[in-house]
Amino acid sequence: MSEPLAIETVDLQKRFDATDALRGLNLRVPQGSIFGFLGRNGAGKTTTIKLLLGMARPTAGQARVLGLSADDAAASVTIRTRTGFVDENKVLYDYMTVEEIIRFTAAFYPGWRRDLEKRYLQSFELPLHQKTTALSLGMRSKLSLLLALCRGVELLVLDEPTSGLDPAASEAVLQTLVTHVSTERLTVFLSSHHLADVDQIADHIAIIDAGRTVVSGDLEDLRARYRRVQLVFTGDAPDITFHTPGVVRVRRQGRVMTALSNAGSDALIEEAMRFGPVSADVLPVTLKEIFLESVALED
Amino acid sequence: MIFRPNPSLGVPIYLQLMEQVKHAIETGALRPGEQLPGIRPLAEELVINPNTVAKAYRELEHEGVIELRHGAGAFVSGQAAKSKKATDSLRTAQPIVTAAIQRLRERGLTDEEIRRLFEAELAGLTKAGGRGV
Amino acid sequence: MLWQKAWLETRGRFLAGLAISVIVGFGVIYDFRATERLLPLVRNMDPGALDTTGPIGAAIKEGIAAQQTFRGFVWWQWYRQNLTYLVVIFGALLGAGGLLARSGGATLFTLSLPVSRNRLIGTRAVIGLAELLAIAIVPSLVLPLLAPSIGQSYSVIDVMVHGAFMFVVGSVFFSLAALLSNDYTDMWRPVLIACIVAAALGMLEYVPAISPYGIFHVMNGETYYRHAGVPWIGLLISTGISAALLRTAAVNLAHRDF
Repeated sequence: MSEPLAIETVDLQKRFDATDALRGLNLRVPQGSIFGFLGRNGAGKTTTIKLLLGMARPTAGQARVLGLSADDAAASVTIRTRTGFVDENKVLYDYMTVEEIIRFTAAFYPGWRRDLEKRYLQSFELPLHQKTTALSLGMRSKLSLLLALCRGVELLVLDEPTSGLDPAASEAVLQTLVTHVSTERLTVFLSSHHLADVDQIADHIAIIDAGRTVVSGDLEDLRARYRRVQLVFTGDAPDITFHTPGVVRVRRQGRVMTALSNAGSDALIEEAMRFGPVSADVLPVTLKEIFLESVALED
Repeated sequence: MIFRPNPSLGVPIYLQLMEQVKHAIETGALRPGEQLPGIRPLAEELVINPNTVAKAYRELEHEGVIELRHGAGAFVSGQAAKSKKATDSLRTAQPIVTAAIQRLRERGLTDEEIRRLFEAELAGLTKAGGRGV
Repeated sequence: MLWQKAWLETRGRFLAGLAISVIVGFGVIYDFRATERLLPLVRNMDPGALDTTGPIGAAIKEGIAAQQTFRGFVWWQWYRQNLTYLVVIFGALLGAGGLLARSGGATLFTLSLPVSRNRLIGTRAVIGLAELLAIAIVPSLVLPLLAPSIGQSYSVIDVMVHGAFMFVVGSVFFSLAALLSNDYTDMWRPVLIACIVAAALGMLEYVPAISPYGIFHVMNGETYYRHAGVPWIGLLISTGISAALLRTAAVNLAHRDF
């Protein structure tokens, strides 16, 4: 993979007091991709984002954003001139109005896009003279997105961009992202546990659990490789230890054995055939199933 | 709007798109020489990743189904004979499917069971190279 | 734009401090009128009738002596007491609330901007200190302005010089509150602690041996009032302490994880 990387972490670790938030995270986010960063609450998603943007420093390991070292204070300022961020809680200054905070943010970015500002103000229907605290969560999310997109940056880091939004608002956010990606040179890194959203627009993903990457790669490739194989036997399902690589999970319930593979189904079925199942069904696997199976392993 | 991929199926979206484009050509909804929606507008309309649409279009071009004309857009291949053959084979395929489903229903299978059997069979067979089990 | 943000965050406290100080300043003028009527009575009192031994007795004697003139009255009431309290309290109030943000949850938004933490902290500190300087000087301008209305006069130069002393020492409490705010999310604890420290230092100054070296001795400008001298050492030490406290607060914030 020789594509330039917008974000790269190597064995990134972070310890807060007594907790190990990150235990060796490896990420490769290609430039121009929409990258979904998935994980349960407390798995380390927000911590990772904070490290990438210089809000906290790693305990060990490396993080590079847009080719620059994320834990160097001066480089971090440069990273932030080229990165837009939307925080999980979408809290903005309560003493500023919509217009004031737009002008405030714009002052930091010489490449501020007035044209996009006008467009999004209109399509999001944001009330210019209301204080940000008076806005609903949906409105604040859209405002936060506007503030990130109009910076004229090449990387967007979004922490739970659609959380708490109704389906219409959520779709509006996703559509804005897709439109923006297709018209500007942009990489989007979004952390989410709304799998359906990630399913819809991401082309690469990584799943983090207990501070480590458990699954990562091109999403379409994952969809093609992950297969669920259901085998039915005449007697109780035998306890097979598969030698075929890529077998993630095997469950036996009575006469039925279900195996999850991340390397397709052919080799697995061939190996299983030696035990004489009466039927072998191959089923596609959804992202939700990949997610649930990958994070459940740690329990 | 003739394209509607479902991201949550677990089947790659670009494959779904490719199938839907081919289906549109075979049923005549898209004719040889006709222009397809642009990559950008289609991605925006469907709210899916533009790279996915691009990949589907590239694969379709690789298979000769469509042509990507630089600067102008994507067009259905002007191979009338191929499309006619496709329409013909669809027409002859239809009764086979109807008969098979009828027989399976007579055996007491529900429509849902029948659908799963077909999908499983197709998922197992549509690997690159199409190796049969 | 950071300047404006810092202003928006502190202007409530600043304007309140300014308003209160101006009102108290008004009070000083008209208090003097009342005091003037009392003075002849005090002068004619038998010195033996009052027990003027001991520190409190000395303070009373000193106070009576000072308040014979308008300039002395201003020094005794306004600089030595009222404005000192106001500058200490509002100094702490302006320094509190965190140098990074009074923005609560929006801290991450602030940190995502392409500015170094030092610049964020620096602008906030500069604005806060400028506001403190204003509180140290502007309300006192009421005195030269209105003194003629009671048949007195007060020098603007005195206002400036005293104001400078007030500001330099007041900045110590500003910086202390700023440093404490790094660890407390609420505003009132840093202010309370800074005020307690101020009260403790104030009480220490009642000890005669300490009193000429006390921080409040520098602040109320007694040296200037009595001898037109400038307490350079005291001012330098105060500046040094302020700077050290602020720098500690800044370094602490620059390395903090959010």
